[in-house]
This record gives sequence, structure tokens and C-alpha cells, in this order.
Amino acid sequence: MAVLEIKNLHVSIEDKEILKGVNLKMQTGEIHAIMGPNGTGKSTLSAAIMGHPSYEVTEGEVLLDGENVLEMEVDERARAGLFLAVQYPSEIAGITNAEFMRAAINSRREDDDKMGVMDFITKLDEKMAVLDMPEEMAERYLNEGFSGGEKKRNEILQLMMIEPTFAILDEIDSGLDIDALQVVSKGVNAMRGEGFGSLIITHYQRLLNYITPDVVHIMMDGRVVKTGGADLSKQLEAEGYKGLMEELGLDIELIED
Amino acid sequence: MELKTKEYVSYSDALQAFSRGLQEPEWMLQMRLDALENIEDLNLPVIERLRYNRWPLFQVPDLTGAPASKTVDPFEFIEDKADAARVIQTGNDTVIETLPESLKDKGVIFTDMHTALREHPELVKEAYMSKAVKPDTNKITAFHAAFMNSGLFLYVPKNVVIEEPLEAIFIQNSLVEDAYIKHVLIYADTNSSFNYVEKFLTKGNKKNAGNIVVEVVTKAGAQVKFSAVDQLGENSTIYFNRKGHTSRDSSIDWAIGAMNTGNVICDFDTDLVGEGSSTDLKAVGVSSGRQTQVIDSNVVNIGRNTTGNIFQHGVILDRATLTFNGIGHILNGAKGSDAQQESRVLMLSDKARGDANPILLIEENDVTAGHAASVGRVDPEEMYYLMSRGIEKTEAERLVIRGFLGKVIQAIPLRSMRDDLVQTIERKLTSR
Repeated sequence: MAVLEIKNLHVSIEDKEILKGVNLKMQTGEIHAIMGPNGTGKSTLSAAIMGHPSYEVTEGEVLLDGENVLEMEVDERARAGLFLAVQYPSEIAGITNAEFMRAAINSRREDDDKMGVMDFITKLDEKMAVLDMPEEMAERYLNEGFSGGEKKRNEILQLMMIEPTFAILDEIDSGLDIDALQVVSKGVNAMRGEGFGSLIITHYQRLLNYITPDVVHIMMDGRVVKTGGADLSKQLEAEGYKGLMEELGLDIELIED
Repeated sequence: MELKTKEYVSYSDALQAFSRGLQEPEWMLQMRLDALENIEDLNLPVIERLRYNRWPLFQVPDLTGAPASKTVDPFEFIEDKADAARVIQTGNDTVIETLPESLKDKGVIFTDMHTALREHPELVKEAYMSKAVKPDTNKITAFHAAFMNSGLFLYVPKNVVIEEPLEAIFIQNSLVEDAYIKHVLIYADTNSSFNYVEKFLTKGNKKNAGNIVVEVVTKAGAQVKFSAVDQLGENSTIYFNRKGHTSRDSSIDWAIGAMNTGNVICDFDTDLVGEGSSTDLKAVGVSSGRQTQVIDSNVVNIGRNTTGNIFQHGVILDRATLTFNGIGHILNGAKGSDAQQESRVLMLSDKARGDANPILLIEENDVTAGHAASVGRVDPEEMYYLMSRGIEKTEAERLVIRGFLGKVIQAIPLRSMRDDLVQTIERKLTSR
């Protein structure tokens, strides 16, 4: 069992403090959801955990099995077991999707244990079938010219190929139609199990109809303000963030979509 | 070392003896002698963003006709291949020349320049320095016309279509001191269609000058796909001019990798003369160490409805310089023509110097034209994305660079040549 623990995390962008002390603890075998209004720091949290260069951690720790990942380079964090699926992945011409994924998988393996082409293709075909992706997408350039839905499927494909310990999904559901949402959920549910944990960041409850979380955290104004079970997201859907704010006695200005 | 007028002309007797020794036709000797007289009066070509008047480009070659004191073993660089259309030259010597019988029967000529001048003087004369590159254009072309000391002639007759690429490998012999004045002439007759690939290398590290001219001349409807990987050595100072001349409805597509390690000017030009003709020029360059490479691509739309595309991507390392000039020139009367270009340079070092310089000269109204140019660094977002999947920084950088240079690599038809280009790029990148 692996544990991911976020302790008193403060993060700034260009001297503006976005996260003001986030605490969260999860372990493999669990799926956690983070919900919250826009501009509340959900994406900042995911980017800071992965190590995006634009985000500055001013205080706190992110521990993976007791080791502070904030002291690692981005690629080291990934090899330690972290994965982040994003809404707007980079488009990189000239590198095929397949070539990229094989490089990613082999970056985790020793020189004498690299994944061979045949094993790779077998696994790739299998995972692409789960996600209803046409074979030719493997040979297309990495995200280049992909639609929004294709990009998100491709993020989930990478997740399934790389098989990380902890995956953070940052608003992977936004802009997806119901069919695509079901496919993406199918991919994540297929990963569910003892050796895998996921932190799903979402603005809406609907993704959680397909992926039932074990724990739901509500974030507002740079902090986790409430933690509960799967029913918390349903309560939120019924009452809205305003209702929750009243309940908690918070006075936060919400940013409209 | 640059010489004074009298001194160039003083080579007249030696040049005549050299030409006679090779049994060159009279027109060739005359062209040499006329050019010799003009060298001093002509100016150096203007290359935007480059001062090169101190580059040692004017080394007079050995005209005695004596064999080089040290020779190059070609098998250090090539594999033995039976029955492929191939010409291999080390220094000024042709060491391998193979052409399948089926192509010989069709009238294809693929042989060294001296032999071509003896056996097919009239055919060579039709295209040699008379259409694409002219002896009196500038000091460098005049010097070339006077002192050309070896080369290759490829002629593909009317309606002949060749599927397999014709391959030429030129290994400069820098085990000895001698100027490298190489001339490649490719003459594509009416409606012919073929692929030609060439490779330039250097063996040895003597300081030598090179003055290389490659001409591609097409007749109506001919389609030529030309690719090249240039890997001339660190101590070779080179002026490299590849120039196309198109007739009606013909096309010349170039894919060129400038992977030299010394100082090199690459003039890659096409005159779109015939109506409806087109060219697509893709060039990649990698500059490393302290070298300067300038790639000066110049497409001139002369005929109506002509289409010219220039696409140049390059990477600079260390303290090197890489400059891309893209010149699209639409002449008055070239109605319905199109001139497009894209030049991008990626800098991988703070001390590198890069330039992407688009120039559009348009003298006609009824045309379309466009350009894009940039000089930048590897996108930190792209790096972050690749690294977030576990890929190490150096590997991520290599992937981004390979992607950036990929378009030209894919345009090369011969797999061995593509692999060679990829390996050369990797070698340049890992030598940092």
C-alpha cells in the first residue's frame, strides 16, 4: 500500500498566493474527488504536485510514502509513481503517440528490461480497444490536431499504459459529451484496484456518477473546507456551493463561469 | 589564400594542360578560360546577415592531374550493395560506378563528369552552367567554372520513370591539401521522373576549401525528387550551391540536411522558369561547436502559375551560428504564382546565435505569398509535459528536437539515408 500525503501546502503564482494550506491524505485502493468552485485552486494543486515550472511552492510538503516529492524533478516524480492527466496537453509534432508512450514506459525500466515492440503493441491495442480509439491514433503525432475529446482519451490511454501508483485527473471531464465521459470513466474504473489510487478534480458532479469516489473533498479559496463520502458530492449538486458556504459559515466571493 | 588578377590568369597554361589531359571538349576549355579571366572582376555574392570575405574559399586545386598522395578507403563509409544505381567518389576519383542494365538500356547516364564530357559532350553542354548556375554570376561561380576538378553527370531520358533512388556518395579527401571543386549536373528530360540522393562527407582534417555546385535542370513535365545529407568536415570551408531550373509543368523537390561541422554557406536556389512548374524545398540544419552555417534559400517565380515552398528548420548548439535566409522573389509577369516560406530556429545554448530572416520580393499583383519565421528555445510547456510522463530531460529534449526536424527526415526516400540523418543529428546533440 502506498500513501500520498499533502501537508499544509502553500502555492503562489507570480507572488499571488493561490493555495493557502492544503491538507489531504490518500492511499492506493482509494479514489478521492476534489470539487470546488472555479478559481479555488484545484488545478493549481495538481500542477504543484506534478511540478509545473510556473508554480512556486512557498510552504508545505507532498509526501509519497514519506518522501517529499517537491524535492524531485518533474520526471523523477513521474517515475516515483505520480501521473497527471490534464485538460490541455501539449501538442508535439514529429513524435508519434506510440513512440512517446513507449519512451515513457521504458523510462521506468532498467536498460536490460526495456519493453519490446511486440509486447508494447499488444498492450497498446488492448488499451485502445477499451477506450474506443481507432488504431491510427497511435501513429499520429502526439496530440497534434486532436479534438478536445481525443486529447482526453489520449491522456487516459497514457494512464493505462504507464500504470502509475497515483493518478491525478484534472478536470478531465470538462467539455466531454456523455459517450466520451462513459469511455473515459471506463478507462479509470479499469485501473481501480489495490495498487492504484486516483485524485479526481472536477467542477461537476456528473463524472462521479460514473466513477464512484471513496472520499470527496470540497476546496474553496485555496483550502480543503470539507471532507466526506460519496454522498457529499450529491449534497453539493443539490445545494450548490452557496449552500455549503452558508453551512460552513464561509464568506468567499465565487467567480462566475 | 586569395590571389591577385595576374596570378589567376597565370594558371591559364596549367588549366589548358589539365583540360587537354582529360580530353575535354573545346567548349569546356573555353568556358574555363573565360571564367578564369573574370574571377577578379566579379564580386562575391551578397549573403544576408553574413560577412565572409575573410573565409578561405579561393584555394586553387592541384592541376597536375597526378594522383593524390593519400587515398580514402570508401568502404569505411559505405556498405557493399550489388545492383543499385550508385556512384561513389573519393576526392576526385570515381571508385564505384554501378548502374543496372535495365536503366542503361533505357539510355540513363550516371557517370563521373570527366567521362560524361568525353562521351556525351553535347548533352552535357546543353545544361552545364548554362541554365541554372552561370559562370559570370559572381566570383565564386566564375572560380568554380574555371577550376572544376571532378563531378557527376546524371541524365534521365524522355519518359523514363525510375522507382529506386539513384545514389551518389562524395567523400572529400582531406588527407591531402587540395581544393574540392565538385560539380553535379542532373539533367531530367521531358516527362522523366526519378529520385536522386546524395551524401557529402570528409575524410581527414587538412584545411581545405570547397566550391560545390549542384545543378538540377528539368525539361517539360519532369519530376525530380532530390535529397541530400551533407556532413563535410570541421576544417572544410565550403560554398555549396544547389540550384534548380524548371521547365513547363515540371517540379523539383528538395530535402536537404545541412549537418556539416565546418563553416559553410549553403545557397539552395530554384528558378521556376516554365509555366506551372513548382519546387518544394525542405532543409534542416544543425550547427554545433563554433561553426557557422548559413542556409540561403532563394526561389524565383519567373513563369506564370509557378509555386515555390521553402521550409527550413534548424537547431543550434554550443557557440555555433545558424542563419536561415528565405528569399521568395516573384518577378513581374509571374501571374497566378505562389511563394510560401517558413523558417524556424531552435537555440539550445545561451551562447548560440540564430537568425531566421524572411524576405519576400514581389513585383506582380496577381499572386499569393506568405511567410513565418521564429527563433526560440525549446518550449518549457512541451518539456514539462514529456517529463511529467517520466521521460528524462535530455531524452525529452531529444524527442522535441527530432520532432522539430522531422518533416525533412520524412521527405527522404532512402531508408539508409534517413537513418543516417537521424544518427548524425543524435551525434551532434550528444556531443554537447
